[in-house]
Amino acid sequence: MTIAAPRSASDTREVRAAWRLSGALGILVIAAAGASLVIGRTSGGPTFGFGGPDLARIVLTEIRVPRTLLALLVGGTLGLCGAALQGLLRNPLAEPGLLGASSGAAFGAVLVFYFGLAGADSLMLPAGAVAGSLVALAALYGLAGRRGDFLTVVLAGIAINAFAAALTSLALNFAPSPYAALEILFWMLGSLADRSLAHVALALPLMVPGWLLVVAAARGLDALTLGEETAASLGLDPRRTQWLVIGGTALAVGGAVAVTGVVGFVGLVVPHLLRGRVGQHPSRLLLPSFLGGAVLTSVADVAIRLMPPGPELKLGVVTALLGAPFFLHLIVRARPAGGA
Amino acid sequence: MTLVARDVGVVYGTRVALQPVNVALERGELVALVGPNGAGKTSLLKALAGLLPHAGTVTWSGAALDSLASRARARLIAYLPQAASLHWPMTTRDLVALGRLPHRAFGAAPSEDDRAATEWALEQTETTAFAERTVDRLSSGERARVLLARALAVRAPVLLVDEPIAALDPYHQLQVMATLRTYASDGALVVAVLHDLPLVARFCARVLLLDAGAVVDDGNPERVLNARALERHYRVEPLVTTHEGEPLILPWRRLTPR
Repeated sequence: MTIAAPRSASDTREVRAAWRLSGALGILVIAAAGASLVIGRTSGGPTFGFGGPDLARIVLTEIRVPRTLLALLVGGTLGLCGAALQGLLRNPLAEPGLLGASSGAAFGAVLVFYFGLAGADSLMLPAGAVAGSLVALAALYGLAGRRGDFLTVVLAGIAINAFAAALTSLALNFAPSPYAALEILFWMLGSLADRSLAHVALALPLMVPGWLLVVAAARGLDALTLGEETAASLGLDPRRTQWLVIGGTALAVGGAVAVTGVVGFVGLVVPHLLRGRVGQHPSRLLLPSFLGGAVLTSVADVAIRLMPPGPELKLGVVTALLGAPFFLHLIVRARPAGGA
Repeated sequence: MTLVARDVGVVYGTRVALQPVNVALERGELVALVGPNGAGKTSLLKALAGLLPHAGTVTWSGAALDSLASRARARLIAYLPQAASLHWPMTTRDLVALGRLPHRAFGAAPSEDDRAATEWALEQTETTAFAERTVDRLSSGERARVLLARALAVRAPVLLVDEPIAALDPYHQLQVMATLRTYASDGALVVAVLHDLPLVARFCARVLLLDAGAVVDDGNPERVLNARALERHYRVEPLVTTHEGEPLILPWRRLTPR
């Protein structure tokens, strides 16, 4: 090639913009984590500080640090997986719950509880959730097949979602006692309250490999911008991209749901808000979405603790209350860019 | 170096889209695939690109394409599908730069070669003027040129393009045909599915005529696009003449349907 290399201003500028965005979000992550460490809640409403120097250590290690870590990890997972799924399905309305991994995990946990295998704070419950998300993934794989196209995968995910929700309702319906029903329900609503470092230790080994699988699909997601055929011609097999994202999402979201219950819409809202700032590049959206999800979830969880005295709001209820209207707004207003 | 198809055939379910084809295509050639709708042109192109399960083998200077790693194949063969899709409204330049994916390692920043190839592809398609515009704000003709630029940016020795000029105005049809011919004469093999017979006759030295899933003729335009062949395979009566010493072939009158 004889052409002198001219400056490609756009590429550099947008890559830099993506890194700046990640840097800004990183600072917000630290700020949100700091707030989450110093703000607590009792039945009397929000509390600030640690309730005395002798209590500080226990309050931090037993309550605040696990809760803060889980908010960051779960939020990051939901943001990252939402961005990856939207890239995979080339649809800004995609969400981790779409795959059935979340509802499968919820059902797994409910089953464990239903058969009285565990109290609400036991690690048996998360173990059941992980099994549920893996079963949902296996069902998805079986229904969609190795060579299943994207539409088949989405429809299979919706079917699995509906089926898992129906089974969960069935379990609730036949709950052995009103107390058990209430426990199941509260756990399904999604919450970061009363979690320990053991929960972090259970979720993290599932989340980290999940993240890595999703990130390995980054180039494939960029290529899919041009459609499946062109992606394949660029040497980035769409089937490989598909299973990296689906497998990674099932692992990471399964781990997240396992310890916090179902927290919806974070994976929908965060990538959508950030996409325009990274020039619509699916791969450049991944890191900012991870950080943005961590920020949003932490802030929502801190906001819950700042509510006036009364029963603590569940995180999943708050994200759903805010996320569902946002979802409707997107459906009504934003048409998918696929019309281009 | 030669792209050789041996007994390459395509079957969809029970329908034979392409009967076994044997053809050798050389570097430096701009080859037109012509024929009526449903003749098997796109099937042949996709089979050559390795994007469609097919019978037979395709080799490049002796090596079977199936044996290549997907990345090596992607660097060797660039492919532009008919009516390609654009799912996210990136800028034109970002989109064209996606053609460099086979050349970039995971997580690596674009190299000087990548940048130069992207700018070159923008210039070749006269799309530099809207390099900063997002692709959802382009006309369909402008989008078609951007997508061609994306395929050119691969700088592959083999370029397979499916109806690259269907959406273009006459100026850009001529401009794209000239670009493809120059790219071929610079040492690449370019195979294009085309319907515009006057442009085929002017720009392509070699024409493969397909009908009903078979290659029925292969040669220079004067030979392949003769009046009898067009009447038989296209069901049109052509006007065949020369202008400025070059063949001028115009479909003129429709014959009674088969």
